[in-house]
Amino acid sequence: MFETRRLRTRLLLQLLLTTLVVPFVFPLVTMVRVSLSGAGWGNYQTVLSVPLLPRFFLNSALLAGAVILIVLACTLTAAFGFSKLRIVGKEVYFWCLLAALTLPGVVLLTPLFATVTRLGAYNTLWAVILPVAALQIPFTTLLARNFVDGIPDQLVEAARIDGANMLRTFAYVLFPLTRPIIAAVVVLVFINSWNEFLLPLLLLQDPEGQVVSLVPQFFVSQYTNDQTKVLTAAVLSGLPVVIAYVCLQRFFERGLAAGALK
Amino acid sequence: MTFSHSKRAAMISAMSALVLAISACGNSSGTSEDDGGSATSASISWWSWSPDNVVANHEIAEFNKQFPDIKVTYKQVPSENYAAALRPALASNEGPDVYTVNASGAFSGQVMAPYAYDLTAAMEKQLGPDWKSKVYPEGPKAWTVDGRLIASEFAKQSAGILWINQDLFDKYDLEPPTTLAEWKSVCQTFRSNGVGCFRQGMSGSAGFELDLLHMITNNIQPGAWTEALNGTRPWNDPVFVQALETMQMLTTEKIMDEGALGFTQYPDVNNAFLSGKTAMVELGTWYAQNATKVVLDASLEGAGVSPSAKRMTVMPMTMPDLAGKGHPETIFSDPDTGQSVNAKSKNRNAAVTFALWLGTTPEGGQVVANTLEAVSTLNGVQPEWDKIDLVNPKVQLPAIKKITEQAEAATEPRAVGLGAQTLEALNNACQAVTGGKSPASVVDAIQQAAEQDKQGR
Amino acid sequence: MTTQKAHVTTQAQASTASPGSATTAEEAAQLRSGRLSRPNGLAWILPAMVVSVGLLYYCIGYTGYISTLSWDGASPLRRFVGLANYRRMLGDPVFRGALWHTVVFFIVTFVAEVILGIVFAALLHSRLYLRTLYKILIFVPAVLATTTTAPVFRVIYAQDGALNDVLQAVGLGAYAQPWIATGVFPLLIVISMQVWQSTGVVFVLYYAAMGQVEDEILEAARIDGASDLRILVSIVWPGVRGTTTAIAILTAIGSLKTFDIPFLVTSGGPNYTTEFLGTQIYRVSVSYSQVGYGAALSIVLLVLALGTALIINVGGRREKRADV
Repeated sequence: MFETRRLRTRLLLQLLLTTLVVPFVFPLVTMVRVSLSGAGWGNYQTVLSVPLLPRFFLNSALLAGAVILIVLACTLTAAFGFSKLRIVGKEVYFWCLLAALTLPGVVLLTPLFATVTRLGAYNTLWAVILPVAALQIPFTTLLARNFVDGIPDQLVEAARIDGANMLRTFAYVLFPLTRPIIAAVVVLVFINSWNEFLLPLLLLQDPEGQVVSLVPQFFVSQYTNDQTKVLTAAVLSGLPVVIAYVCLQRFFERGLAAGALK
Repeated sequence: MTFSHSKRAAMISAMSALVLAISACGNSSGTSEDDGGSATSASISWWSWSPDNVVANHEIAEFNKQFPDIKVTYKQVPSENYAAALRPALASNEGPDVYTVNASGAFSGQVMAPYAYDLTAAMEKQLGPDWKSKVYPEGPKAWTVDGRLIASEFAKQSAGILWINQDLFDKYDLEPPTTLAEWKSVCQTFRSNGVGCFRQGMSGSAGFELDLLHMITNNIQPGAWTEALNGTRPWNDPVFVQALETMQMLTTEKIMDEGALGFTQYPDVNNAFLSGKTAMVELGTWYAQNATKVVLDASLEGAGVSPSAKRMTVMPMTMPDLAGKGHPETIFSDPDTGQSVNAKSKNRNAAVTFALWLGTTPEGGQVVANTLEAVSTLNGVQPEWDKIDLVNPKVQLPAIKKITEQAEAATEPRAVGLGAQTLEALNNACQAVTGGKSPASVVDAIQQAAEQDKQGR
Repeated sequence: MTTQKAHVTTQAQASTASPGSATTAEEAAQLRSGRLSRPNGLAWILPAMVVSVGLLYYCIGYTGYISTLSWDGASPLRRFVGLANYRRMLGDPVFRGALWHTVVFFIVTFVAEVILGIVFAALLHSRLYLRTLYKILIFVPAVLATTTTAPVFRVIYAQDGALNDVLQAVGLGAYAQPWIATGVFPLLIVISMQVWQSTGVVFVLYYAAMGQVEDEILEAARIDGASDLRILVSIVWPGVRGTTTAIAILTAIGSLKTFDIPFLVTSGGPNYTTEFLGTQIYRVSVSYSQVGYGAALSIVLLVLALGTALIINVGGRREKRADV
């Protein structure tokens, strides 16, 4: 984008970029530094020997996986509907969906808890999966709708002319083109489900059913707040997400690059 | 057209049915019709913000020595989430069987009272009809709501002292100060050596600065705080103005470390104290647990202190006589924690057995007392000093024994009776004067909040 | 470019699609002329609506009902007080303060994130070294949970924290102070943590949108002698307007809702200087047990959020039309 043919400009821009990035890296470095203070690598040993830790990672993965599937199913169908199909009062429904984005978590706790226990889902992973998915869908639908807007209407109409019904159109025409936005949704939803803290705290009782985001709390009690181990746990539970992002980064980029938002 | 109409109609009726079904059964009645199940064999769940899992499992193990067939599963919910998490849990049918409560604050027994089972009958069965005389009397007083005993107390907590790092005092050849002048001079020495003097954390709503204000008030006019708690003395009385002025003076005279408004007592100030960054802190008698090797090691590790460092000697200290009137120090005390039983519990009888154990059996009381964290509310239970491994027994044992006895005997209340808004207003006042505002200008807000709390607004 | 290619291939695919249920020649003609109406899509949005709206609208309705009560959230005693809670809000200085902080927070974070996002995106579209590393470093803050990164920020801004250490190291020790405790700084600290967290997401969205700007236009502008800054302002900025609008909406809603950062870093203090609607709702509902007032605050938050989003959206659309 910027002029980089001359070495001097290139170095100046590189310097500018580095200077701007330093404040972003600084807290990350501090985090790792504090996690290694005190007992040093012993902190990592302690956190890694928390009983049932692999189980927690598994539960988090299950949670994230289920939420991603539900969110994808609802988002893609809704994006298709909002963007390509006719609905009376479409914008009203859309804004209703966005309204669900606006409530802070603490307000949702009591009614959500009542709903979940009513559905008999208390103390199961579903109790967390459904609300987390419900809270992601408005945002992902906003993104996906914009993306699908970028797919030419003629494609859909051409399929109709050729006699395909809507289900076929969705499956064979639209879905193959949505791979980029799927990548974007997967990354965003994975991050949010992996980091979800309050709902698992509230709704998951069994010690074996806990998720990884709750591990830092094991090192906080009324009198001791073992900051070093809290941050160690934070680093360890953040690693999978960082790794996932690094691996998917190219797809994620491509996904949004293919016209998520214009 | 008709097709889409019916689809839309279907959707609307589906949603309404869902909403109706959910709202129709929001709150079921609180009583269970069954007999409560076995009292000695069941599986129950216990929620609290404290202790941590290790200590809790130790307590449960001790409990199981007497009641091996009651399986207790402990869930620790961090205190900042405790109230928010407990509420919906109790409102549903899936809440904990036993839950720990405070005597005041966001998760006091009184707030959760509608969900609690009346323990009066069980107490009478356990300790006899004169049970109230066998325990610390403030507990039943605080935890009897509408004639029902909604929590069984097991610990009382006290404050009114300071704690010092004896090693730092020894290093610079200093004696614990007893007057304002001595305190200033001690602080000068510490600061010139790059060490903090007295650190207080005022950030957040933990409210430890209230204990400091209480101590200062007692030093000016003994009994004034209690009168304010009772409502017989207004919070904008000149005594409190003077107390706030004194607190402000601690900052301006460089006794209190800079940055109090940004520190939280736990973990910031505690960690600074444990890592030798500051020499004095205001904390209550619960800090005596840091005189034991086991707890100190865990605390030091949590503060990020290298495990090879020498263990520090913490010592209690009376606050210097700031008002110069010679009033003796007092320790004030509140019932601190009690166990409540969820009225909807399906294993109510077993839950009652567990809930009563810590506070009404000698074994349970001993478990509480030996931690040195709190004083057992069961009369006559003392810590077993020979079983407790102190860091520096020669120096610490006499001092800690003394404050433990004072705590056991203390009758002056600490904060029970303080409404939530009054508490907040007091916190704000302390923060404001430490930030430089004039004490006279902040006391009216405290009195206003107290009146609002009284009206129930 | 890619979408056009896709168009061609799928059209080829579509034309060899299903036999059976053939539309009539008349319908085909109508489709081509754009006059045949699209099929009804209600069933398609149903899953999303049921899951999100169904689950969450009960919460909204329940909250609305509670906002008319004076209730402590537990006892069976609920007193209907109509709009009293809303009236109380109008006279509440903490509420007004929270609104003011929200406005400041929104403006500063939006401006900072947009500028940083666009600058980063532009820089990382240029031929510089180690681009992927920078992209990862900028995005990682967005990936970590707030509950785990908040303590880090408290450590950095404390009296004996990392920031003061850095200041002393570069000789600006005179400015070292307990940032998190003084004056207007707590709010700035909260803002700085939000910018740290969210710039990554904003950057990624701008990076994607900027990829759409065609190279020929940039080349032409450069041949005409336009500087980098001019290109940024006159070509890139208008080209990413849709992204900017979406980011504005999301930032506005996020600002109103903001809770984690002020709660975990400054607890809404000192003295309510970092109080936001979210923290006030928590304080009122959980600490004071005044769930009726808390619910009223939540409803107001919802109305404000939707209203702001609508205004931004309408404004964005209008600008877009002006462009064309």
